[in-house]
Amino acid sequence: MTSSIVFDHLSFSYQNTSIPALQDISGEMSRGSFTMVMGHSGAGKSTLCCAINGLVPRFLRGDYAGGVIVEGMEAGKNIVPEMAQVVGIVLQDFEAQLFSTNVELEMAFGLENKCLPRTAMEERIDTYMRVVGLEELRKRDTATLSGGQKQRLAIGSVLAMETPVLVMDEPTTDIDPEGRRHILSLIRTLRVGERTLVVTDLDAEAAVQADQVWLLKDGQLAAQGTPVEILTDSSLIESCGVRPLATVALFQAMNWPGQPLTVEAAVAEIESRRLICPRRPECRAISTLTNGKVILEARNLSYRYPSGDINALNDIALTINEGDFVAMLGQNGSGKTTLAKHFNGLLKPTVGDMLIRGRPVNDYRRHKLAREVGYVFQNPDHQIFASTVREEVAFGPRILGMDRKTLERNIAESLDATGLSGFEDKNPFLLNRGERQRVAVASILAVKPAVIILDEPTTGLDYVHQRDTMEMLKRLNQLGHTIIIITHAMWIAEAYARRSILMKEGRILLDGSTPTVFSDENMLAASSLAPSDLIRLRNRLGLAAMTLTDMVKELKSEAVPPGSF
Amino acid sequence: MNLTFYNDEATWLHRLDPRTKIGGVLLIFAICLCFNHPLFIALILTGVLAIFTTAKSMKVLWKLRFLLVLLFVFSVVLWPFFIKGKTVLFQWHGLEVSSESLLYGFAMGLRLMTFVRAGLLLLATTKNEEIANGLIRLGIPYPVAFALATAIRLAPTFADAGATIVQAQVSRGLDLDSKNIFIRFKRFTPLSIPIFISAMRYTNFLAMALESKGFRPDTPRTSYYEARITGRDWLAMGVLTLTFAACLYLRLSLHWGIIIPGRL
Repeated sequence: MTSSIVFDHLSFSYQNTSIPALQDISGEMSRGSFTMVMGHSGAGKSTLCCAINGLVPRFLRGDYAGGVIVEGMEAGKNIVPEMAQVVGIVLQDFEAQLFSTNVELEMAFGLENKCLPRTAMEERIDTYMRVVGLEELRKRDTATLSGGQKQRLAIGSVLAMETPVLVMDEPTTDIDPEGRRHILSLIRTLRVGERTLVVTDLDAEAAVQADQVWLLKDGQLAAQGTPVEILTDSSLIESCGVRPLATVALFQAMNWPGQPLTVEAAVAEIESRRLICPRRPECRAISTLTNGKVILEARNLSYRYPSGDINALNDIALTINEGDFVAMLGQNGSGKTTLAKHFNGLLKPTVGDMLIRGRPVNDYRRHKLAREVGYVFQNPDHQIFASTVREEVAFGPRILGMDRKTLERNIAESLDATGLSGFEDKNPFLLNRGERQRVAVASILAVKPAVIILDEPTTGLDYVHQRDTMEMLKRLNQLGHTIIIITHAMWIAEAYARRSILMKEGRILLDGSTPTVFSDENMLAASSLAPSDLIRLRNRLGLAAMTLTDMVKELKSEAVPPGSF
Repeated sequence: MNLTFYNDEATWLHRLDPRTKIGGVLLIFAICLCFNHPLFIALILTGVLAIFTTAKSMKVLWKLRFLLVLLFVFSVVLWPFFIKGKTVLFQWHGLEVSSESLLYGFAMGLRLMTFVRAGLLLLATTKNEEIANGLIRLGIPYPVAFALATAIRLAPTFADAGATIVQAQVSRGLDLDSKNIFIRFKRFTPLSIPIFISAMRYTNFLAMALESKGFRPDTPRTSYYEARITGRDWLAMGVLTLTFAACLYLRLSLHWGIIIPGRL
């Protein structure tokens, strides 16, 4: 096979940084192959992508050594628009890439740059609109598309340029599970053909279908090989900040033979080797719901955006108890965020009431409200403004008029709880995404609100940072804070939330203890969600545990009669 | 607030060549400058509103209702103090207001509203890409035309980010309704810095995406929507030019539509 992309001892460090982003990367990707690049955040995945089309070092400057040759063109030596003839790239932030008034113009943008005549453009747009499944939405305003549709449009507009190489940097991040499924099946479709595919992702489940997997760690190529070679080595991928495949991890923990990469393969393996007999889950009373006092209550709450034609929320009735850990799940546009914004009075119900400790939200003054309910927005950069972490965290308590002593104590405590002690004098803008996320949490925490709402607290974080963030929230929950998270990451809800609320089209579809909600795969499917591989496996095997460790315990105690639980 | 003004319809105005529409807006501006009598300007405004109705875009005006009312009120209140007229209504410490200056203020308010609405008419019926394309065809250098179209495109994006940032800081206890001037000043930093930084990040990223798709500001490119001048365009331009000529004649030869002579 001829090689399509050749990395030759490529090293790069960004301007004004001392730590290299890429170190001595050498390797080949053959024509028509599909390479999955994985690694922790900051491992150099995006830098590697940008090096393929010359954005590194032509746009993102720094010390560049070695080189990349793509389809015979040397990336560093040609300007980026020149490289666009052979490389199409879908950058990480798909929102910022969409630029045109409507879908077909977005598809046309690259073709216009190639100076294609109109008839040729039309043909290509027709073809690739079908490939990405957007043919119905030709004239739609791009701003009105869902996250998954936007991402497919971003991919389609690059595909239409028919470059021999296609690079996608984390195409499934920040997209709801259904959108993610669409993108993954699109990647499967694209595999067939002459195109060389390079995709980065944080999730091992996406890598199963690749030809080869590259693992990056601290800017170095830690390992490369076939998915079977790489993904079955749980400790290796975990050391690179990637969550190991649930199926492999379970088989290893149980000392079972075989290393299945998918749930289906795992179930087949278990059945054929009769490792255990699948059974019905026993009805064990799982005491998961807290019986604290009611702190938040929505009564027949409906909401319609001022510009909207239909209700964003319909007749929501919901109570949340003090000390609970709640996950709000659902597709984009299902109303999760809209409902959460009622909890701290950012939105006022059109019909019905929102009560905090039995009093209507409207009765609270703004600063009183901030002490009851804190809200961490999805993007920490939407709130960080101060030049030191201490100043940033002090903003809330100070504006609420806390005295100096309490202020100092609260800052110290919230930095401690978020693992940021020692960061006091650092500039928050220079921290990485995971750390900035923690600064955002700390700055809410410093006010000591009874309830903390977090919108997508783990988006853009790698496995290690995701786990750190969630462990931190678990500690805060143990300290008595009520935690409400809005998330698309199923494993996070499964492993950490006590209660899960499933939303669809502005209504609550299902509300109950997390183990119960995640046992109901039909209901999850009805709101276009699916449990993680681990829980799918749990449901197939009829187990009750929600985490790997508990599942292993449960399986090992097979011999023990159920009554002893 | 949603600052996207483009209103996707298929009316005769949407189908006009962008060059015609840009020229047309300039002609409406010129027509507005012919008179300073409120009645005459009100007539022009009615004409613009009539075009809005046929372009099915009245709802675009609704989005900006507060701004439009504000502009009008300011103009009506402030102008009379700066203009002297014959029929003095009242005097106070050297300030005087006459019935002519009142009418003039009224006319200026109407004129400002007509300007803004004529501009909105262009934005409501013309896609960004068409505006850029039209400007280029009118001989504006490519980078300038592209920068202008980009600015129009990014306004709603930054407004959205701004709204999120306000919500994020309000959640932390930032009091936006405070009457205390010092608190009001202090609240500026927590809002402006995140807005500025996110705008920088966004534009930088956008530039990367555009270059990656082969875009170069200095080289010619084809256009998916090829604008073409048709009979309809000639008709529209003809009607507007004739109207302008007629207005010039009314003002200069017949001295119609003047409340304060010697002023625009």
